[in-house]
Amino acid sequence: MTVLVPLQLSHFQCFLLFALIISLAFGTLGRRQPLERLKYATWSFAMFVAVGIALAWLMYPFSR
Amino acid sequence: MFDDTTVTNANDARGHPEIAVHDAHPPESHTRHSSTFDARAVAIAILGWIFPGLGHALLKMWGRAITICLTVAFLVYLGAGMRGNLFPPGGEDAFARLGYAADLGTGSFYYLARALEAAGPDVSHADGDYGTRFLATAGVLNLLAALHAYEAARRRKA
Repeated sequence: MTVLVPLQLSHFQCFLLFALIISLAFGTLGRRQPLERLKYATWSFAMFVAVGIALAWLMYPFSR
Repeated sequence: MFDDTTVTNANDARGHPEIAVHDAHPPESHTRHSSTFDARAVAIAILGWIFPGLGHALLKMWGRAITICLTVAFLVYLGAGMRGNLFPPGGEDAFARLGYAADLGTGSFYYLARALEAAGPDVSHADGDYGTRFLATAGVLNLLAALHAYEAARRRKA
């Protein structure tokens, strides 16, 4: 018996979810004030997404 | 090499500089306090590793404790739900041993993930491969949080 709902997420959904969770943790650990945490988490999330998409396009010519 | 005196510069009432020499604090009491403090910091870090967020909770950093607990738990849930590979101990190659070290970083949640993933890993699909990364990330994130709790307990970071 499995107690888990099987998850089927696309690559991009996984990528966004990963960036969101890690950014929240980084923001909470890295800053003290709530506003600073929000700013740092938002900046971290934006960087995760931007760098991830940039790397994906850089690798695109070699993918086939 | 070092003596137990401290030399400080001070101006007297006439404005002439004087050199004051006085005994510093006894070194043994400072050392005892420091080692007790370090042992407490290490204990907090270990407890934070065993149960994610507990280290920060003991330091009364409630926001960080809840966030760490929830993020690690959510990553473990996602990883196990996607049937990621939870590396067993005694891997035959370096990659498996490193994977085990990363997975074990979640502390008690490693055994929770094993219990949740009753059907075992399935990395024949991309989801399983993503799940493996989520599980490893949960472990590394928890180790980072435990290190942060250690530093916070030593008053180096808040």
